[in-house]
Amino acid sequence: MAAKQKIWAGLGLVACLALPLIITDRYIQHLLVMSLIFVIFSSSWNLITGYSGQLNMGHAAFFGIGAYASALLALKLGVSPWIGMFLGGLLAAAAGFLLGIPALRLSGPYLAITTIGFAEILRLVAMNWVDLTRGSLGLYGIPPLPGFWGIRFTSELTFYYVALAAAAWALFCFRRITRSEFGLSLQAMREDEIGAESIGIGTNRYKLTVFTISAFFGGFAGALLAHYQRLISPDMLSLGETFQALTMTMIGGLGTLTGPVIGAVLLTFLSEGLRFVEDAVKMDVRLIIYGGLLIVTILFMRGGIMGLWERWRGRSAGDGEEA
Amino acid sequence: MAILETKHVTKNFGGLTALQDVSFALEKGEVMGLIGPNGAGKTTLINILSGAFHPSEGKVIYQGEDISRLKANLVNERGIARTFQVVRIFKRLTVLENVLTAMVDRGKDGPWRLVWGSFFRRACAFNQDRDACATADGLLASVGLLDYRDERAENLPYAMSKRLEIARALATRPKVLLLDEPSSGLNPAEQNEQIKIIRQINEQGISILIIEHVMKVIMDISHRLIVLHYGEKIAEGEPEAVYNDPLVVEAYLGGEGNA
Ligand SMILES: Nc1ncnc2c1ncn2[C@@H]1O[C@H](COP(=O)(O)OP(=O)(O)OP(=O)(O)O)[C@@H](O)[C@H]1O
Ligand SMILES: [Mg+2]
Repeated sequence: MAAKQKIWAGLGLVACLALPLIITDRYIQHLLVMSLIFVIFSSSWNLITGYSGQLNMGHAAFFGIGAYASALLALKLGVSPWIGMFLGGLLAAAAGFLLGIPALRLSGPYLAITTIGFAEILRLVAMNWVDLTRGSLGLYGIPPLPGFWGIRFTSELTFYYVALAAAAWALFCFRRITRSEFGLSLQAMREDEIGAESIGIGTNRYKLTVFTISAFFGGFAGALLAHYQRLISPDMLSLGETFQALTMTMIGGLGTLTGPVIGAVLLTFLSEGLRFVEDAVKMDVRLIIYGGLLIVTILFMRGGIMGLWERWRGRSAGDGEEA
Repeated sequence: MAILETKHVTKNFGGLTALQDVSFALEKGEVMGLIGPNGAGKTTLINILSGAFHPSEGKVIYQGEDISRLKANLVNERGIARTFQVVRIFKRLTVLENVLTAMVDRGKDGPWRLVWGSFFRRACAFNQDRDACATADGLLASVGLLDYRDERAENLPYAMSKRLEIARALATRPKVLLLDEPSSGLNPAEQNEQIKIIRQINEQGISILIIEHVMKVIMDISHRLIVLHYGEKIAEGEPEAVYNDPLVVEAYLGGEGNA
């Protein structure tokens, strides 16, 4: 079983490494990069909401904080984006800790509204602090990741490998964290908070911790996007971005490791496909399709694609994740 | 020697007094039964002993320490575990994981140490850790749940989910176990099984406070009984004596008369 898994993991890795060499179309390569960034972003949302049950609808705040922080550090202070990405993540983590504080008292829809408000305030700051952020024009001319050994990270192809390494690292962390004592405790808290406290889980500290960790990776994903696109706008802080993470995760499978990965790749490609339809009908059909997919998922396939897969394999054990 | 006691505990919910000046002591190693009509305040007492609620007045003393203001998780850390009248198991975790989660040594420095530690273990998942699983399997076997080990908790038959709660409470290595109606909703065969399990737990030296409506169970298993009625303690002592106490008889008959 374990050996078989390793073979599959090895094959998967080789496939991921070879993919952009086989598919040389730059536009498809671009979609692959975007998929990987959203793999990190959705997975980090999944950690808060899927694993620990805290309905965080303000995840875009962390995405934006990471992006703006890393971009501004590079633009204004000349900090290397390699370092800036991590600093952006840390700043988002600090914001995550702060946003975790209301989560100690609120849950469900109340927490959702509070977190939306948090992201919306930051979006308005980014819109109106024109001296620093250029407002709705956004920041442009953001420096790319500095190259080394003659490699430059300005092409889709080279950036793909950066994003791949980042996603692999993030998923490794998520896998370790979710399967540890800490991860099980988070899931226990999600299932029954009072029950969790009765066996010694101090839910407050666990909530603050998971908000901080999740926010770090959300910010890191945002910074990655900033230095890839080299252009960011306050839209990164909008509810739409959180909704994107939510849809990807729900369709792939909430509270599973593989779910947001599948969902991010699927929806990134799907939404690009829909762009042609949009151009034809001159209407924003993407949100309609997302909403529709979400409803279908909730009504007919709770547990998303991973849930279907588990049922197909006829397994009842496990926490829904690929063992 | 008393291991857990309350001193003049009163609990108000707004205008309603759920407990009124209740003092009692659970002796080390004993099984104490807690009975009383519906709404008498039994569950409220367990909630207060376990830190889920804090008393409005009075104190809870555990091994000489005042734990009245401690949060539930810290009370559990001291050595008091509980089950719930309406089961609160972790439905989408497996039976094994329910128990494993309760076994975690959380230490003083909290969750960050667990996060950090997750990067430095050989078995990459806690639910594959050999030593932890062996201990958990032992606990599951002791309550007859080993056959359900890898089942999701939500798929358990009702009687089994009540046992899982007991196994989970035991996994925190308690000195005192508070049981809120462990055999309600069970058929007579399952009740007998439950009595056996509780007795075995007591034989390991764990002191037990048990709420029960099923008289056969409570008379069978308790060394002593206390009776609550409208939040007040109206009797305490040997099961036989309490059972025949006119005040207790009246409380039960009166309760039924009003209902
Ligand atoms: N959290 C709460 N808020 C308000 N009132 C409460 C709360 N918990 C209990 N009560 C009230 O306190 C009284 C005692 O309730 P409790 O649940 O302790 O009774 P009980 O003896 O366990 O009854 P039962 O046998 O039905 O379980 C009841 O009148 C109940 O309505
Ligand atoms: Mg009760």
